[in-house]
Amino acid sequence: MKHHSIGEFEELVLLSVAALHGEAYGVSIQESLIEKLSKNINISAVHVALKRMEDKGFVRSRFGGITEDRGGRRKKYYVITAIGKRILDNQYELRTSLYKMIPKISFGR
Amino acid sequence: MNAKLPKWPLLFLRWFCREDYLDEIEGDLTEIFYRQQHSPAKARRQFLFNVLKHFRPEFIRSINLKPQYNYKAMIRNYFKTSFRNLTRNKGYAFINIAGLATGIAVCMMIFIIIQYQTSFDTFHPKKDRAYRVLTEYHHEGAANITYDKSVPYPMPVGLKANFPAIAEIAPVFASHNDELIVAGDNNAPQKHFKEERGLFFTDPSFFNIFNFPLLAGSYESLKDRNTVLLTKEIAEKYFGDWKLAMGNTLKLQSGGFMFDHSTEVLKVTGILATIPANTDFQVKLVVSMGTSYLGTLMKESTTWNEAAPDFGCYILLSPNTSAANFNQQLSAYAKKVKSAENKDNYIIQAVNDIHYDTQTGNYSNKAISHQLLNVLWLIAAFILAIACVNFINLSTAQAVNRSKEVGVRKVLGSNKFQLQIQFIVETFLIVMIAVILAAGITFVTMPYINRLLELSLSFSILNSSTIILFLVAVTVAVTVLAGFYPSVVLSGFNPITALKSKLAAGTTKGISLRRGLVVFQFIIAQSLIIGTLIIVKQMDYFINQPLGFDKDAVVNVPYRIDSIRISKMDYIKHQLLSINGVQAVSFSSNTPVEDANDTWSTLKFNHDIKEEDFKAITKFADEEYVPAYKLTLIAGRNLQPSKMTREFLVNESLMKSLGITNPDDILNKEISIWNGNIKCPVVGVLKDFNNRSFRNSPAPLLIATNVTMYNQATIKLATTNIPATMQAIKNLWEQTLPGFVFESRFLDDKIESFYKQENQLAQLYKIFAAIAIFLSCLGLYGLASFMAVQRVKEVGIRKVLGASTAGIVYLFTKEFVILIAIAFAIATPIAWYYMHTWLQDYVYRITISWWVFAAGGLAAIIIALATISFQAIKAARANPVKSLRTE
Repeated sequence: MKHHSIGEFEELVLLSVAALHGEAYGVSIQESLIEKLSKNINISAVHVALKRMEDKGFVRSRFGGITEDRGGRRKKYYVITAIGKRILDNQYELRTSLYKMIPKISFGR
Repeated sequence: MNAKLPKWPLLFLRWFCREDYLDEIEGDLTEIFYRQQHSPAKARRQFLFNVLKHFRPEFIRSINLKPQYNYKAMIRNYFKTSFRNLTRNKGYAFINIAGLATGIAVCMMIFIIIQYQTSFDTFHPKKDRAYRVLTEYHHEGAANITYDKSVPYPMPVGLKANFPAIAEIAPVFASHNDELIVAGDNNAPQKHFKEERGLFFTDPSFFNIFNFPLLAGSYESLKDRNTVLLTKEIAEKYFGDWKLAMGNTLKLQSGGFMFDHSTEVLKVTGILATIPANTDFQVKLVVSMGTSYLGTLMKESTTWNEAAPDFGCYILLSPNTSAANFNQQLSAYAKKVKSAENKDNYIIQAVNDIHYDTQTGNYSNKAISHQLLNVLWLIAAFILAIACVNFINLSTAQAVNRSKEVGVRKVLGSNKFQLQIQFIVETFLIVMIAVILAAGITFVTMPYINRLLELSLSFSILNSSTIILFLVAVTVAVTVLAGFYPSVVLSGFNPITALKSKLAAGTTKGISLRRGLVVFQFIIAQSLIIGTLIIVKQMDYFINQPLGFDKDAVVNVPYRIDSIRISKMDYIKHQLLSINGVQAVSFSSNTPVEDANDTWSTLKFNHDIKEEDFKAITKFADEEYVPAYKLTLIAGRNLQPSKMTREFLVNESLMKSLGITNPDDILNKEISIWNGNIKCPVVGVLKDFNNRSFRNSPAPLLIATNVTMYNQATIKLATTNIPATMQAIKNLWEQTLPGFVFESRFLDDKIESFYKQENQLAQLYKIFAAIAIFLSCLGLYGLASFMAVQRVKEVGIRKVLGASTAGIVYLFTKEFVILIAIAFAIATPIAWYYMHTWLQDYVYRITISWWVFAAGGLAAIIIALATISFQAIKAARANPVKSLRTE
């Protein structure tokens, strides 16, 4: 198995997929990220990240139904896989442990 | 938001994006487009921007297109199934391939012939500006105009002086029956050669107009007297090697009677490269114009009123001169130089039209009319059409056998288009084999066609790009023509009915089309049969129609006139008459009927000042001419023996042209010809005989004695033991006149040669009619044999129920006979119309009688019945137990 590295933006997208559980597709992911990060994100970046993570096995996809506002094109829904979840957990643990190692420094005023 | 998605970015996205990502990406982009709140313009810009952002490796289709279908394998499969299908139905494949190959071979042959015929004199770089001058004769009545390639002697000099638009002008005197004498090596005896045609007198400007390259020497040498250019072939024939010929001399005894009968010594000053076959200037020797007194005659003659026989004039116009304009000036000039009574005119004709002018003719006697070329095209198209029809008929008839295959293929996911491709590929395979076979057939039969049409065609696929192009075009055309309809029919089957084998009953539409095609084939075949019968009948008429004189067992021996020979003629005549089997001997200028070699004279009658407005054929002959040819006198007497010109015989036509009805009235009246050089009384009137070919009615005729004008002996033979008599005659000539090249020609052969083109046409029609009927029958045979197989059960049941063999044969043949009868009804008027038009060209022609059509129709029916009956009888005699047992 390939080494399970994950980039920062990929991690954000993966988190969104996990958070939007069952309702995650390109546009919904983009919107939630824009909302949370308060900065503009291009849809192509989201698509690239999703494809890469699908290749790495972090997410799975399925086609949804056709809706009219999509010009007759199907949605592609993404859900997180067990590996994806473990990667998120690992990242979370790594950050928390590192965070905990920070000595109590006072940035006194 | 009612903005529309921008079209081009969307198409671009669809073009580059991977198929499996397209739903997601296009869908998302569309959703964003409709959801956002900006102005439509900005939304569109953003859409484009988003599309461009997606244009990156992850989303782009892979370059090495993964095909959806395995085309290569499928095409290989098509070829494989086609091949299997051909080997499975060997008979069917044979009929198809043989039919198409024959049709394509005929087409190819005609194409090669036409290509050759249209290439005549197209290789001269200045051909667009090259013309020949024709004399336009105005006969009695304004409508009667004929053209001749002979012009008066002063013409070249006169035109050159008066027309600045002429860049080059070449006088050409086409001599014939010339004898050439070459000294033998080391005191060996002289070698004598006779050239019937191909000796031309001209000057260097001829070669500035026409492109005949030199191997050695120069054209300019022709400016001097007594120089000659030989072609490579002639130089080799005379001197062994053309390099030896240069600078050598040979003696010329020219055959044309316009000369002073002397012997000229000519120096070889140039060698011409081989003259191509596709030129009407079949040059062998080119003698300088100044030789003999021809040059003097040209410079000094003022006789504009008479065209000099065999004397022609070729010109090269300077660029940007219009021929029509030039003709106007030429007419004005003709009026100026000719006497007031002479209405004749001059006209120029483009050199590239010469080959198609069958009326005026040319030096090669190979003219072919545009009409005939068109007929050939038409026949090629028809024969190919018949072959294609065969193919369509057999393929659609076979369709029922293929229905299962089509059903299975469709069930397994083939679509209509793929099936059509499959059947087109199958057709293509058959056509390819047929084309290769046709090339083989053409190659093998080419020598026979060359011999028949007296052509020198060559067939080399590799050398000729046009042939390759033609073959490719034919392959494509036939594949499409023959393959399209069957492929549509076959691919259109409904798989359910096809698999249930219910198709046999439901193909009536196909059958009625097939019927139509059979009718079409037989219309063509029957038209050709009827046409052939009429042409052959007309030919027979030409050959066997009484001419008004005796042409059987008459042999002509041409000789050249000179003082020695003239002195020996009496002796020869005496000796000839002593040979056993010789009945009569006469000396004359030519035979009673000539096609183009006659001398025509204008005449003045009974001391009139004005010339008559018609011309008369003028022949010179001794007193034995009338009895030797068994000509009939209706008034007066025969000529009296004389060496000079003292008396005229005329014919009825001449008398009638003068407006005289009673033959006795013309006797002892004076006729004057050749500007008064010959003035003699009329002593006899001959009954009209055919003094021209049957295309024309008899022309006015004058016959007079003059020993210097005779250039042939007419010998009437007894019909027994002709070879021995001929040998004796030959020996006599050669002993009496050493160095004489003995030639002889039977008059009936000569007359037959007048109708050479008709004869060749008849031969061609015979071949084409045979091929057309063969192809039609091939198709019919295939159709009948197929029907026999299809209806085997029906026949079995009929037999069990008591049908007789005859009844079943009748069942099979009835339908075809009806079809052929319909074809006959349509073919008859078409054939009648065309043959009627064709016959109008001949003054003497047969009337088209009903039996020709009856014979044509009957022949078609008999041949067709013979073809079908084999299959029909086989089917009818089959044991019903066998056919009914298997189910």
